[in-house]
Amino acid sequence: MKLSTNKRNTIEHQGICHRDTGFKPVHRCTGALVFLFFLSFLLGASFKPASKVSVKKLKNGHFRLLVDRKPYIVKGVCYNPIPIGKNHESDWWSDPNKPWIVDGKLMKEMGVNTIRIYQPGDNPEEVKKVIRDLYELYGIRTILGNWLGFWEYPCPFYGDKDFQERVKNEVIRMVELYKDEPGVLLWILGNENNYSCLGRVNPWSNDEIDKEPDPQKKNAIRARIYYSFVNDIAGKIHEIDPNHPVALGNGELLGLESANQYCPDIDLVACIIYRGRTFGNLFNSLKATFDRPVVIAEFGADVYDAYLKKEDQNMQAFFLESQWRQIYSNIANAPQGAGNCLGGTIFEWSDEWWKHDENNPDSWKVHDTESNWSNGSYYFDIKAEGNKNMNEEWFGIVALSEELEDGLNKRIPRKAYYVIREFWKNPTIKKPKVKGKK
Amino acid sequence: MKKILAVMAVVFLAMPLCIYAQEEKTPPKEFVVYVDKNSRANHYIPSGWMGDYGDIKMNDQFMENPQDGITSIEFKYSGKKSQGQGWAGVYWQNPANNWGSKKGGFDLTGMTKLTFWARGAKGGEVIQKFVVGGIKGTYPDTAEVEMGPVELTDTWKQYTINLAGRDLSYINGGFCWVTTADLNPEGCTFYIDNIKLEADSTLKPEAKKQESMPFYVYADRSTVGNHFIPSGWMGDYGDIKYDGASKEDPYLGDSCVKIIYNSKATQGARWAGIYWQNPANNWGNVDAGFDLSKATKLSFWARGEKGGERIEEFKVGGIMGEYSDSDSASIGPVILNKEWTQYTIDLKGKDLSYVIGGFCWATNIDNNPEGATFYLDEIKYE
Repeated sequence: MKLSTNKRNTIEHQGICHRDTGFKPVHRCTGALVFLFFLSFLLGASFKPASKVSVKKLKNGHFRLLVDRKPYIVKGVCYNPIPIGKNHESDWWSDPNKPWIVDGKLMKEMGVNTIRIYQPGDNPEEVKKVIRDLYELYGIRTILGNWLGFWEYPCPFYGDKDFQERVKNEVIRMVELYKDEPGVLLWILGNENNYSCLGRVNPWSNDEIDKEPDPQKKNAIRARIYYSFVNDIAGKIHEIDPNHPVALGNGELLGLESANQYCPDIDLVACIIYRGRTFGNLFNSLKATFDRPVVIAEFGADVYDAYLKKEDQNMQAFFLESQWRQIYSNIANAPQGAGNCLGGTIFEWSDEWWKHDENNPDSWKVHDTESNWSNGSYYFDIKAEGNKNMNEEWFGIVALSEELEDGLNKRIPRKAYYVIREFWKNPTIKKPKVKGKK
Repeated sequence: MKKILAVMAVVFLAMPLCIYAQEEKTPPKEFVVYVDKNSRANHYIPSGWMGDYGDIKMNDQFMENPQDGITSIEFKYSGKKSQGQGWAGVYWQNPANNWGSKKGGFDLTGMTKLTFWARGAKGGEVIQKFVVGGIKGTYPDTAEVEMGPVELTDTWKQYTINLAGRDLSYINGGFCWVTTADLNPEGCTFYIDNIKLEADSTLKPEAKKQESMPFYVYADRSTVGNHFIPSGWMGDYGDIKYDGASKEDPYLGDSCVKIIYNSKATQGARWAGIYWQNPANNWGNVDAGFDLSKATKLSFWARGEKGGERIEEFKVGGIMGEYSDSDSASIGPVILNKEWTQYTIDLKGKDLSYVIGGFCWATNIDNNPEGATFYLDEIKYE
């Protein structure tokens, strides 16, 4: 079981050159490179060596994320700054108004130290610019991910070797492009792709699966194929990038029994969890099924009360504060916690107005209040019609205004922004007041 | 003498005031819900008829064999499902028919228990639960406490609902009974008398106990041991027919559960399922989970009418709300055999300290385009 890349990667790293920047961590570089590094520093170049990020298992079985040997709690947000009137295809990376500069400043003031990007843009130079700006100006690190072809039409053919090879090459290209960026924190492979193994979302098959009559065995075959594929990519990443851990982006804990069997090269799990006020038994359950640390890579609450039909910032702040308290209750050495949580990235930084009706450009300019789905865990507004209480366009801890400021939609932090800012300043792990089990 | 008389007059006049003042300070020892028809001590009215209200007949001045006083209340429940609900009950409210729209509740702070007397006409009548509080609305009750199921005897017996430690600062639903047609397929007649709240300072708040195993979700149609109610109908709930008292070849005992899913997508969801909940319709909004920490598995027997029916998921736990299940576990998809087959959900390593959703099944049109009829029996935690 590989939990930390430290030992193996230190050995492997000695023969690897970093083609993009020409710089390596100073303690591993030759004298000439050390000289070049200091020279560039003296000349005002802003490059820094890539940080060494690793996962360490402590003697008590708890896990800790280390960045340059220092403990690091991921205090993050999912970042996708789509302007009002645009949809997910909007190339914000090339926006001359640089939304990440405005957002990064607000994030730093809040205490955010990490952003999560689901998949980088097409232009590597623009992507590097964003990562560098956030890191150099605000000290904010970036988690980079890849969808692993999950949304490809008609479905992700994980049982097809050509499909696997193409996706793997795409991921490897991402790693090669950005692994030497000092601001990169870690890689996340996929995002809820495991649901396709259960046939719930984007179902896929191959001959082997088609021949199997038992549906439970079909799912088991899919899980073996998918998690083996992800592990294959993770192993390849470790070969070329010894400095950053690789996370498995998983919806809930579903399928992790299979991951335990087929994913020895995965360093941590990046879980997508929407359980309202609490994460329940998630941390202990993970320990029992796939003993890896976890970053809660998506969690949060929408701010729109679908029952009362109005924005309710208290409701969103209540859920987020409770969720962060649970995260801190389960970081390494916290009393009574599972000790396997490395932090989280809130879904999400700012609202996305395009989401409710993504095929209708007119609706991208409207902040839709119609709910998309139901989740009883967010119980304040569960009495909404049809119990539909989740408003996909309203998850931001920062609201967007139609008013422009320096060419960007004006950012208006919501109450959750301030509540979490205060929580991070002085994290307290309080006992819940209610009697019900969390 | 005048002076003495004046002093005595003052003393006599002042005494009642002193006594009154003392009464003001001392909280009452009891608070009556119902003792006798037309008693001025009664504070609540049995006006809140629920579920299959057409199945209920009430005689609130039944004079034969009262437990105390002159009358008791007779309830006749036919179990005919007049409104198609499969259950019925009566709330004692103040004022009558107040479902939380008026501020009529009482501050019962200081009371620690509710006691009442009950008996069945024959003995063996099963009341699913007795409840204090729990009415919602604009003026919601501050507590909801329940007890049950209770199997009545044919002689008067006193029952107690522990209210110690509960917030009773506003209670509009002073008392309530609920039962189901499954528990009483032939209907039942029962009597209730002397319902009152009492201040017993020796009573301690009830600790949640770890339930002993086996712990049944469903054993037989009218068994007191059925701890969860199949009330959580999901998705295309109009596609489901549920019979909790099917006599068609039960695996054990005199009955089993028969479910007909007709896959018509009545609500447009294209799937359907049922959660067994405690109490009925608890989607995490009522603090009422069982502590099933001793369980290592849930087992049940199932068969399809033809064989080949596909159930996407059998599940325990997983209800999320203000009060969430502490964990969840599932198996599936399962293709049912025509013969009874036992299935097991492994619960080792799971946190079952709080379970509202005792059992659940779900299936869909895509895998059952012609619908599915299947049977369940002996659903239990072990």
